[in-house]
Amino acid sequence: MEPLASFFGLSATLLAIGIYGLATKRSAIRILFSVELIYNAANLNIVAFARLRNPPLVTGQVLVIFSIALAAMEAAVGLAIILLAFRLNSDIDLRKMTRLKG
Amino acid sequence: MTSPLFFKVAVFPGLTSIGIIIALFIWLDRKITARVQLRVGPLYASPLGGVLQSFADLIKFAFKELFIPRNADKFFFVAAPVLALIGGAGLVGLIPFTPEWQISNLELGLPAFLAFVTLSPMLILLAGWSANSKYPFIGGLRSLFQQTAYEIPLWLSAIGVVMMAGTMNLIGIVQAQAKPWYVFPGMYIPGWYIIPQALGALLFFITATAEMERIPFDLPEAEPEIIMGWQAEYPGFLFMSAAGASFVRLYAFSALFSVLYLGGWMGPAPVPALLWTAIKIIIVSSLIILLRATFPRVRIDQLLRAGWTYLLGLAFLNIVITYLLVVGPRI
Amino acid sequence: MPDIAFFGFAAVTVLGAILALESRDLVYGAVSLGVSFLGVASLFFLLDAAYIGVFQIAVYIGAVVILILFTVMLVGPAKGEGPTEFRRTALFIGILVAMMLGVGGALASPSAFSTNQPCTPECDLAQFSQSLLVTYSVQLAVLSLVFAAAVIGALTLAKSERGTA
Repeated sequence: MEPLASFFGLSATLLAIGIYGLATKRSAIRILFSVELIYNAANLNIVAFARLRNPPLVTGQVLVIFSIALAAMEAAVGLAIILLAFRLNSDIDLRKMTRLKG
Repeated sequence: MTSPLFFKVAVFPGLTSIGIIIALFIWLDRKITARVQLRVGPLYASPLGGVLQSFADLIKFAFKELFIPRNADKFFFVAAPVLALIGGAGLVGLIPFTPEWQISNLELGLPAFLAFVTLSPMLILLAGWSANSKYPFIGGLRSLFQQTAYEIPLWLSAIGVVMMAGTMNLIGIVQAQAKPWYVFPGMYIPGWYIIPQALGALLFFITATAEMERIPFDLPEAEPEIIMGWQAEYPGFLFMSAAGASFVRLYAFSALFSVLYLGGWMGPAPVPALLWTAIKIIIVSSLIILLRATFPRVRIDQLLRAGWTYLLGLAFLNIVITYLLVVGPRI
Repeated sequence: MPDIAFFGFAAVTVLGAILALESRDLVYGAVSLGVSFLGVASLFFLLDAAYIGVFQIAVYIGAVVILILFTVMLVGPAKGEGPTEFRRTALFIGILVAMMLGVGGALASPSAFSTNQPCTPECDLAQFSQSLLVTYSVQLAVLSLVFAAAVIGALTLAKSERGTA
């Protein structure tokens, strides 16, 4: 198979798995997993497009560095929020978090 | 049939030599500690000061029952120490003992080494969690806090070397130290980075000792407080892997320190290159072992406060100093 | 040879991703997520982006997965795991099919993307650093400010948690 298409297909599969998780899961931590998978799909896509372009671009790698750093921040803040929600509700099921005020 | 790569992976610097060197390190550890405390240490297992004691222990451990606690998570309980041992051996594969004696010469050798080091707190946390017991879990959590806090100063202190050498390849870093700093007539100061990078080398030494979880930073094990911590529930062979992983990391980090700061296989006297590397590794690891016999254990809050404030600040200071050293002469 | 490597790493990535969402125990899920990230890092190595691969291992597995494991162990294993709703599984299959159609379209269209060109000057580490630290230096500074904000935010959340509990 053509390299670009195979990387693109893998990225699309990862994105689809991530969207599936976002749509069906109820646990906040599984939702965070899905978001990280979607980040990875995007990063893979960006690097593959930058590498397989003619001539190759280095900008894609720089963009992915920014993206990975942002994903790490998002995970840190997201997990702090999950811990806080767990302290308040003693559960992390997103469907049960119906109160607006803690 | 023995291609050079196969020989390297299987014999030296690969698996066989790693096994023998770990056994020797365990003996060295016990012997030096004993001497400092005015004991004799291992004595009877060979004519030469009990050198074969670790091999005898290995045989004893191999015959012990492989007892897995009933409520333990079996998969991670077995997999975590074995993976930690394999990962530690992988670290040794990145070290250039001489330009010829290296298993994989990566362009990004230094960050690859440090990135592999970051995998270990996950394994130790899983090992502590899977035993389903209080002391191992406390040990795993302590390891998580300690290792993630000390990774950052470790990376930052290594940046100084990369700035001076202009490369992240470990062979390139050693070759950049070949040029002497000042050559007066009849006087020779080797261009090892321990001189311009003294602060960085000290920080790297401290943080690496903390990453190895050796006294005074062995809080995850802490025998008197939490009874060997994450290793508490491990039976014979698995305990051997867990303890062996710690000594593989001692070996790998001593070798990395001698490559980064002590000029690797180069030295002022005409001695075979491999012997220089061996001498430097033995000196660095003996220093780390001496720390164990000399200092008391720190508390976890002291450790974390020192890591996040002093060590981090000094690591940034080291980067500024290195910047002035590298860019200063050009202005 | 690169094809075999690609399919091996792709299989690891996809299987890890599926297990991360479908494993019964959240701890196993977090570790599978780490395995999936490791697969993506290996794919970065295949794409001559070794630095990104190392960065991915250090940040994702060394920091993100460990944070997730820590949170999972604090929260407890079986929280928030309601039954999966099957209507939404159908949605998933629909999205997957749409994605695959997109791949088919990309395959069919002729493109400027060629296959086996060497990547010596462009994928060089020096070129990459030049781009990161000179061309995009302002963006890097803004990113570090965002980092500081995120750290302060996470610390504030953790502190208020201790205050109310």
